[in-house]
Amino acid sequence: MELLQVKDLRVLYTTEGAVVRAVNGIDLSIRPGEALGLVGETGAGKTTTALGLLRLVPDPPGRIVSGEIFYQGEDLVKKTEKQMRAIRGNQISMIFQDPMTALNPVIPVDDQIAEVIRLHRKCSRREAEREALRMLEKVGIQAVRAHEYPHQFSGGMKQRVVIAIALACDPKLLIADEPTTALDVTIQAQVLVMIKELQRELGTSMLLITHDLGVVAGTCDSVAVMYAGEIVEYGSLEDIFDHTAHPYTIGLMDSIPSLDQDVERLKPIPGLMPDPTDLPEGCSFSPRCPRACDICRKQSPPNTEIAPGHFVRCHRPETEKEVASHG
Amino acid sequence: MEQMKPKKRRGTVWRRLKKSKTAMLGLGIIAVIVFMAVFADLVAPYPYDIPDATAIFQYPSWEHIMGTDDFGRDIFSRVIYGARVSLVIALMSVTISIACGVTLGVTAAYFGGSYETVIMRLLDGFMAIPSLLLAISISSALGNGQLQTAIAIAISNIPTFARVSRASVITVKETEYVEAARSIGARNGRIILKHILPNALSPIFVQATLSIVNAILTIAMLSFIGLGIEPPTPEWGSMLSLGRAYIRDFWPIVTFPGVMIMVTVISFNMLGDGLRDALDPRLKQ
Repeated sequence: MELLQVKDLRVLYTTEGAVVRAVNGIDLSIRPGEALGLVGETGAGKTTTALGLLRLVPDPPGRIVSGEIFYQGEDLVKKTEKQMRAIRGNQISMIFQDPMTALNPVIPVDDQIAEVIRLHRKCSRREAEREALRMLEKVGIQAVRAHEYPHQFSGGMKQRVVIAIALACDPKLLIADEPTTALDVTIQAQVLVMIKELQRELGTSMLLITHDLGVVAGTCDSVAVMYAGEIVEYGSLEDIFDHTAHPYTIGLMDSIPSLDQDVERLKPIPGLMPDPTDLPEGCSFSPRCPRACDICRKQSPPNTEIAPGHFVRCHRPETEKEVASHG
Repeated sequence: MEQMKPKKRRGTVWRRLKKSKTAMLGLGIIAVIVFMAVFADLVAPYPYDIPDATAIFQYPSWEHIMGTDDFGRDIFSRVIYGARVSLVIALMSVTISIACGVTLGVTAAYFGGSYETVIMRLLDGFMAIPSLLLAISISSALGNGQLQTAIAIAISNIPTFARVSRASVITVKETEYVEAARSIGARNGRIILKHILPNALSPIFVQATLSIVNAILTIAMLSFIGLGIEPPTPEWGSMLSLGRAYIRDFWPIVTFPGVMIMVTVISFNMLGDGLRDALDPRLKQ
């Protein structure tokens, strides 16, 4: 059975007059122990999706307008705030993008870890502190530094603390929102490997949000590609990387600089993401799509399963034959 | 192998406050003034209210180290007794206005929406009335006395504290660590008290030290126009006001109460600055 199943989730932000359609009917599912990568450009609605799963979309201006989020068979959208509090940090927890700001500057790190333990487990302060120390060592921070404040740690170390907080209550689902984006390249790999190892060790499922396809390839089992609030392509790692079908995903792959080819210029996708307050008619990628034709500009494409478990939202997906002919 | 123990917690506010020389000086002076106020009966060489017609307008001497006033009362003794009144009213009024103002401001900023609008517009209404006028009218409604005066001053200060704390909380509540606290399932009360308030304290502290100064001066003003504290109870502000007739001919009568107000105010400012820094671990060392 799926641990998490999202059906037709829609999130709107209402600001002065304009309605921002941040998430437009996405479907996702995550099995126990699975790592799903959610890929997309800045502004594609990745973070809003993550916040939506925890029901933390700031309201106002944001609102979940429709959809269901089944977690272990129960719909999170229908839960009360109190029930959600018992789930947040305990069953589902989140790693934030920027470790520089995700920790409270006036509280020592061990207390910040102990806080989540005390919130969800009936245990004494002493037990929570001992558990916090254990978590710190697990993420590779020596116990001698436990009483230090966040500003005394480097960025990578802070992100380790954030990870320790997220995993302290042994959650079933970990949402990692660009966990390495704010870090130094040399630290990124370390942190990713650690997340991956801990995720395997604890049997946690993971939703990894990133804009880096390389990160996805190294960490995830399946991939969802997001564009303008929709999931345009969804499938296993193999489906997405070896049988790429959606023109947007192809564009993303092409824009990765290659080490073994000597090229003068990168190959970006022309144009910009559409304005989320004014999405184009038809397929939202059509203005930038090299394969777009009349139907793409008029009709929103349906979600089609082109191979078992491989979904594409496109009128004219690239087929295997074409890929072969490209040589 | 023996497990490594975490280092001793060095982070307590008191330990950090001790490192600040100015804060400790301020605290020391305040301690001396409080001590004199509490034990005024033992410290003061003369009673504060018995006139002595044989010793009026005496300049400082070994007998009267701050001289005597127009009734022949010892200024030093009156300053010591006056500390009782001034300090108690000032601290009481600031405590009351912080308790009410910060609660209103913080909850308004945190919950927002129509709750915030109603509270802030009401307080704007309050602010439209000049605070001295407000203090005068409340004080005349409540009557004379220390508690009444403290309440009158406190009420006129509430909007300031509400505005300062609201502005400070609005910036803090948008930070990622507050969102992170929400994402681990913390309740609103916990988020406000543990995550927002400690990070929003510095402007509130600055405002508090300023308000103590203002309170002492407002007490003086109220006493001067016959509200507030009734003579012959000594109070620094009223000593200033009553002595102002002799300001050109006999300097000790206004100088010493004035100096006391100044020293107290500076001490509170130094302590407030130090405390603010001590509460912020980022500024350590």
